[in-house]
Amino acid sequence: MSSKFPDWNNLAGFGEKMLDQALGHVGSLAGRMLEGNVRLGVTGLRRAGKTVFVTSLIDNLIRGGRLPFMDVVASNRFLAARLRSSPDRSAPRFAYEKYLANLTATPPHWPAATTGVAQLRMALRYVPVSSMRRSIQPISTINLDVIDYPGEWLMDLPMLNQSFAEWSSLTLELIEHQPRRQIGARWLHWLSTVSADQTADETTAKEGAAHYTEYLHACRRSQANLSLVQPGRFLEPGELAGAPVLTFCPLPAPASGSAPAGSLWALMSGRFEDYKTNVVRKFFLEHFARLDRQIVLVDVLGMLNAGPAALHDMRMALTACLEAFRHGRGGWLSKLTGGQIDKVLFAATKADHIAASQHGNLKNLLDMLVSEARNAIRFEGATVDTMALAAVKCTETVTTEHQGRKLACIQGTPLGRQKPTVLFPGSIPDGPDLFPLDIAQPYRFMDFEPPAGVGRDGRGLPNIRLDQALNFLLGDRLT
Amino acid sequence: MSDRNHSAPVWQAPVELEPLRPAPDGGGGNRPGPDEFAGPAGAEKVRDISRWNWAVPAFFGGVFALVLVVLAFDASDLLSRAFASGYAFGLGVSGLLALVVFAALWLALDEAISIRRLRRIDALRAEAERLVIADGHGSAGHFADAVSGFYRDRSDLAPAIESLHTSVNDAHNDREVIALIDRQVLAPIDQSAYNSVLRASRDTAVATALSPSAALDVVIVLWRNLKLVREVASLYGARPGRFGSWRLMRRMLANLAVAGVAEGLSHVAVEALGGSIAAAISTKLGQGMVNGLLTARVGVATMVLCRPVAFTPANRPSLGRVRTELLSVPKDVL
Ligand SMILES: Nc1nc2c(ncn2[C@@H]2O[C@H](COP(=O)(O)OP(=O)(O)OP(=O)(O)O)[C@@H](O)[C@H]2O)c(=O)[nH]1
Ligand SMILES: [Mg+2]
Repeated sequence: MSSKFPDWNNLAGFGEKMLDQALGHVGSLAGRMLEGNVRLGVTGLRRAGKTVFVTSLIDNLIRGGRLPFMDVVASNRFLAARLRSSPDRSAPRFAYEKYLANLTATPPHWPAATTGVAQLRMALRYVPVSSMRRSIQPISTINLDVIDYPGEWLMDLPMLNQSFAEWSSLTLELIEHQPRRQIGARWLHWLSTVSADQTADETTAKEGAAHYTEYLHACRRSQANLSLVQPGRFLEPGELAGAPVLTFCPLPAPASGSAPAGSLWALMSGRFEDYKTNVVRKFFLEHFARLDRQIVLVDVLGMLNAGPAALHDMRMALTACLEAFRHGRGGWLSKLTGGQIDKVLFAATKADHIAASQHGNLKNLLDMLVSEARNAIRFEGATVDTMALAAVKCTETVTTEHQGRKLACIQGTPLGRQKPTVLFPGSIPDGPDLFPLDIAQPYRFMDFEPPAGVGRDGRGLPNIRLDQALNFLLGDRLT
Repeated sequence: MSDRNHSAPVWQAPVELEPLRPAPDGGGGNRPGPDEFAGPAGAEKVRDISRWNWAVPAFFGGVFALVLVVLAFDASDLLSRAFASGYAFGLGVSGLLALVVFAALWLALDEAISIRRLRRIDALRAEAERLVIADGHGSAGHFADAVSGFYRDRSDLAPAIESLHTSVNDAHNDREVIALIDRQVLAPIDQSAYNSVLRASRDTAVATALSPSAALDVVIVLWRNLKLVREVASLYGARPGRFGSWRLMRRMLANLAVAGVAEGLSHVAVEALGGSIAAAISTKLGQGMVNGLLTARVGVATMVLCRPVAFTPANRPSLGRVRTELLSVPKDVL
């Protein structure tokens, strides 16, 4: 008898349990709906350190042992981070595991140059600060999306806003000056054999594109380490290798002002437009849409090594790219993609190549290099900061005595060697006079191997100021 | 060009130095132990401020010496009279005398130690400030060691200090090291100190709201404040003695005056409660609020005075939470 009926004494408890369960469902549903998304744009010219930065960012967030300057970690509110599958299936996943394995192998090595786009999503779990939010949702989650791509592609961005005639005249103006003039001699010679008005034929177009591509490759290889090389896909074609859309090159404007249909100019200009719409615009629409935060990585030390020409070149390239972002409201890229970036961090990468006492000067130099872009971004209403950081710290700062003077040196294994050594890497001036005339080659900052056994302590890859960078970029979303 | 010559007097080209040969007192490597940090710079600064005048110590020293002489005469007098009236009685009295002298010495020693600790905190704070202003690199290691040396026998802080030492590395500049000390070692202390302040301010508010007489109010406030000062100070490792906490109280009263508490208590009451509510409740409750708020201010001032690294605008404790806490007092009392 008693078994047929529910336990009357416990009915209230039963109801409560049902309600609890229902509320639990609602709670977790609401929790999922309240999940925030942050899209972090990692921007940087080639070899700036994007891939290494993303790898270290992921590793450090997952292990969480080296982020004392992240408020959410310092206040013990950070629970954990884990990788998730990205909702966007159009791009391959960022090969975090492979890059980490590269860095932690014996002997360790750096990831190779990136040849295509890759993306990754990770979920960060934390306890909210406000007790109001905690009562709705004791544990919050945000999804962090990052993408990695070849730095060369970034240089396509300014082209979006140019016509073929504009782009051609700018490129031809650039090549007037050394060292490009010498590097591009063969392509220039080819240009002198053709005219914009001549009838188009595929062989000539292919020839021109081949010469031009070779010139771009030579620019990239050159001592001056030139950054302003366009179009990016000529260097890193990705899936487009050999596609006809890549067979064009800049031409001097036709003498008569306009060229007839069927001319070489018309053909190349058509392909240029094609490249812009189907390659560049597509890429930026797909991957740079709705960015919330941006970090601009700048290899200042590499540019100092390469000399005044490289530094000037990098400055031009960076200004051209950043103009497109025009953070806050009103930039043309944001009009295109609907993005609304409200925080931008400029970071001088590879700060471990110099002694730690020089970091202040490195930061000041970066401040100086990006001052225009920074002011423009501030004007648009976004917050900007600059810092010197290293995604993977490969050296230790030590003080040594050399010829009776105390020098702040670094200890680490230079690239291509097996044994660590101590060296004085040189210093960075704190004034604007970067290249004094009386010193032939003032800067020779060396690259370093990742330290042996790096990351084995399970605390995350050692870094310099990665935590401060992350706190600036994500801190307010983790409260 | 001239600019450059100022910043780098001798141009040093990049060189590789073989063999590995760190200098004996390198910035990162061998640091002096925590005890070698005496903080002379800080101590000097403190003396500077209090304008040195030879007459003051001469006067007090002289008076003290005279009193000692008088006491010694009295004591020997007392002893001879006690022994005259009986040997056993004499022994008893001299035993008592010895006990008093010993206890006095003990107390004096205790006070001296506590004053020294306060001085050390002052020195640490001055040093931290100097490092932050200089914005250099490589000198904050000593400071971190000094702070962890200062908290050496605090087992509750051991994990924090341990994590401080794992997170500081050679790439951090002095400001960053100090910021890390601030967030990893001192922030947890701030938290518990602030909780003590909250508790004390609530206690005084409730007790004075319920107490029947003004005289009792004064006693309650004084006693609870003194207790709070000692609690907070010992959380920061200042460990004040009896005399030391009075000194702290005195310094804090000066602080409070500066902070504008003397403006008038009614103002504080209104501040605590918002005009309309303040008007609605009885004066007794209002007095309770005022006392609670005053206690909180004393507590926060103690935190400021006892912290080895000064608060920054970002982490300075605010009275905001005290106010909300105090607002719930009327409900509890009525
Ligand atoms: N010491 C040190 N070297 C770094 C660091 N980050 C990058 N490097 C060096 O810079 C090189 C390029 O880094 P990547 O991350 O591959 O650069 P990238 O921006 O992805 O380059 P692309 O893929 O060609 O656009 C590496 O091979 C390292 O030698 C760092 O944090 N510390
Ligand atoms: Mg890469």
